[in-house]
Amino acid sequence: VNKRKILPTRAALTLTPAAVNKIRSLLQDKPEYLGLKVGVRTRGCNGLTYTLDYTKQKDKSDEEVLQDGVTVFIEKKAQLTLLGTEMDFVESKLSSEFVFNNPNIKGTCGCGESFNI
Amino acid sequence: VNAGEVKFRPSLQASHAAGIRTFSNASLQEKTGVSGQSEDKVYLTESCVKRLAEIMTKGQYLRIHVEGGGCSGFQYKFSVDDNKNEDDRVFEQGGVGVVVDQDSLEFLKGATVDFSQELIRSTFQVLKNPQADHGCSCGSSFSVKL
Repeated sequence: VNKRKILPTRAALTLTPAAVNKIRSLLQDKPEYLGLKVGVRTRGCNGLTYTLDYTKQKDKSDEEVLQDGVTVFIEKKAQLTLLGTEMDFVESKLSSEFVFNNPNIKGTCGCGESFNI
Repeated sequence: VNAGEVKFRPSLQASHAAGIRTFSNASLQEKTGVSGQSEDKVYLTESCVKRLAEIMTKGQYLRIHVEGGGCSGFQYKFSVDDNKNEDDRVFEQGGVGVVVDQDSLEFLKGATVDFSQELIRSTFQVLKNPQADHGCSCGSSFSVKL
């Protein structure tokens, strides 16, 4: 963690308190994982969609975001796409999901899962 | 759907079944595909029933509503409802209930409701809807088979 002190002018990804809490609780009983990894994949009616996985190690090209004690890695392919995005966790009675408020996108699908840039 | 028509059909099928089996089977299949009573059902998966049991209090139902919108023409809306209306059909399983109004049921019959849990989102979904042609990738929107 301390090896990379490049202090970016703005974080590639910011997490809301709700997202931090959720990620923390997700990782609490899984000590084998370092954190979560966010990526993008070509899918959906609007071009791209976000992916989220547990990750055990940091790949060379991954961007590491450390905030409030939780770590989120961003895949190389997703770094430009996600720059400046806020990651939120929204929970309701019927559904719960991670939401990405991405300032770079031009449009989304009706359901909000896929988007274009 | 004409209620009288639906009631009439099973008796017709029964009386003809022995004699002209192939014919009546074929016609029955064709009819159940369109509006038969046995197919007017919404199925619930185990995970859906389990999740509903966790979040619903007694007398609450999961309402599924089909409305225009989304990128493929129609979309599913899920909500929690304490009341059921006159034209609602209730599908109960394992102590939990799903209500669908008559108009939405036309687009939902034969479909399966699931609660999918992934890392990025956990949500209710409609799977395997025989009425849907192709859907949006997220599964919340679909177009109707013509």
